[in-house]
Parts: sequence; structure tokens; C-alpha cells
Amino acid sequence: MILEFAQWLQATALFTGLRGSAYLYPVVLSLHMVIIAFFGGMVLLTNLRLLGLSMSRYPAGAVLERFRLPKRYALIAMLVLGFLLFGCKAEEYYYNVWFRAKLILLLLIGVNYLIFRGSIYNNTAALDRAVPSSAKLAAALSLILWAGVVCAGRGIGYIEPPLDKIHAGLHCAPHAALYSRSGVRRLV
Amino acid sequence: MLIGNPLNSSELAFPVLECIHILAFAFSAGTAAIVDLRLIGIGMTDQSPSDLWKDTSLWTLLGLIVVVFSGLLLFSSDPDNYYLNYAFLLKMACLLLAVVHNYTAVRKAASGAATPANGRLVGSVALFFWACVVFGGIFIGFLNSTLDSRRV
Repeated sequence: MILEFAQWLQATALFTGLRGSAYLYPVVLSLHMVIIAFFGGMVLLTNLRLLGLSMSRYPAGAVLERFRLPKRYALIAMLVLGFLLFGCKAEEYYYNVWFRAKLILLLLIGVNYLIFRGSIYNNTAALDRAVPSSAKLAAALSLILWAGVVCAGRGIGYIEPPLDKIHAGLHCAPHAALYSRSGVRRLV
Repeated sequence: MLIGNPLNSSELAFPVLECIHILAFAFSAGTAAIVDLRLIGIGMTDQSPSDLWKDTSLWTLLGLIVVVFSGLLLFSSDPDNYYLNYAFLLKMACLLLAVVHNYTAVRKAASGAATPANGRLVGSVALFFWACVVFGGIFIGFLNSTLDSRRV
């Protein structure tokens, strides 16, 4: 069923067009990465503050509060852009082990948030007085999981699509210069 | 090749370096962006820009060091291909502009020397430069290197 959905999604006019566009696809990918950078800075600083390694002149709860909204906007933008990227090659991504790993890691981030929501993330007044060790655990987990998401995301590009299983001619942009010997597009 | 680059003899070396490169970039540009956004008037508005600069600059610098060294290693895996790629050249130019701008104009504006209007301009230009670095990096893989037309 998921596979059928993926096949239907990538066949829609929006994603067929996006896939075929030489420049729109890399632009969406670049925007995704720009937001990752901005989001990454905020995630790093909030978690470092909880760990006691940065921004120590401000109360931890205040740092959490100030970054909450910008982080949410950035997360929504990343998810929307990520969905656009996914839709282009939905069927290929369905088979991609790194894409699955990325989704699982995102799910774990959600679980991490839900577990600590009441005691830490929504309890900023108490954090202003003292940061409990459970908050440090949550911060360390968050940093590790987000780093894992970035690495899994990069891993997606290294999996050869199972061409025998895939319907659409999928390679997004016709211009492709930097391939390694195994045929993987090299970015960065 | 007379001397083999160890990066090219391992399947894992390039992707692992790429991950380190991306993470370090997110940390360096991301922490710098917090100061830039503050200059524009977004985000950490309770804090003064100079305090924010003091709190983020160590992490920005550490990130930049890692990102540059991992980038040099990535570059070394196929230097002529990168050198002859216009997106790569654009990326290097923007990186230079972003770093110089960060340590001159942004540092000065964050120290309180700028009017709010100037701060907004300095912050916006900084964000623009950082974004251009990312665009350059992604487009490296989507533009043809001019290598083929020059290689005999």
C-alpha cells in the first residue's frame, strides 16, 4: 500500500515536473540544506545550554523558550521541502535503506520529545532554577539523533536505485558531473 | 595516479567525511546565523548582540575549522574536477565573503557599533552569503565540470 502511494505520488503532475526540471530540484535541495544549517545552529545551542556548555549567562528555560518558535518554523520548512524531494523519487526512496533509517530516527526524535515534554520542554520555569540530569540526557539524545538524521540523509544518495523494480525514469537532473566510480552523485 | 589518495581507496571515507562536513557547516553557519538574525531583530531579542556573539563565537569558530579541513580533504579526492566546476568556484568565493564579512562587519555590528538599520543590512548580507555557500555546494553535483572540454 505504501508502495502504491509512492508510485502514485511521483506520477502526479507536480512531482513529474519537479523531477524533470534541471534547476528546480537542486534549488529545493539547497533550500532544504540552508534550513538544516539554521535549524542545526539552534538545536546545537539549546542542547549545549541544557548540557551547561554554552550560553551560560542566560537561564536554560529562557533559551528554550526563545528558540522554540524559530525552531518550529524551521522544522516545518524542512519537512515541506523534504517532502518535495521525497515525492520526486518516492518509489526509489521506498526501497532506500537510509531513507528508512532517517524516518526511524525522526520518529525517535518525536518519541524523545514526547517523553521529556512535560518534565523539561514545557517546564521551562523549573529549568531556569536548575537543570536536572534528565534534561542533560534529553539534550544528549537530541544531539545524537539529529546528527544521525543528517548522516542518514546523506546516505540516501549513496544507494543505487533498484532499477529493475522502479517504474519511472527517475534521475532528477540531466546534468550530473561529479559521480564517484560507483555512480553516486557527489555533492558538497 | 602516481601517489594514491587514501580517500579514494576506501568506499566509506568520502561519505563519512561528507557527513562531518555537513554537520560542522550546520553548527558553524547555524550559530553564526543566530547572531545575524538577532541583528535583523529576529530570534534571541532578549539578549544583546554582543553577548550572543560571545556565546556563539567559539562554536562558530570550531565548526568553521572542522568544515574547512573536512572540505579540503573532500576537495583532495578529485581536485581538478572541483576546480573546473563553476559551482565550486562560486562556493569558494561566497565562503570567503561569508567568513570575512562575519569577522569584520558582523563582529563590529554585534559589538554595538551599528545603528539598527545598519545591523539589519549586515545581518541580511551575512545570511545571504551563507545561503550562497550551500547553494554552491549542492550545485557542484548538478553542474557539468568543464574538465571534459579541457582535458586532452
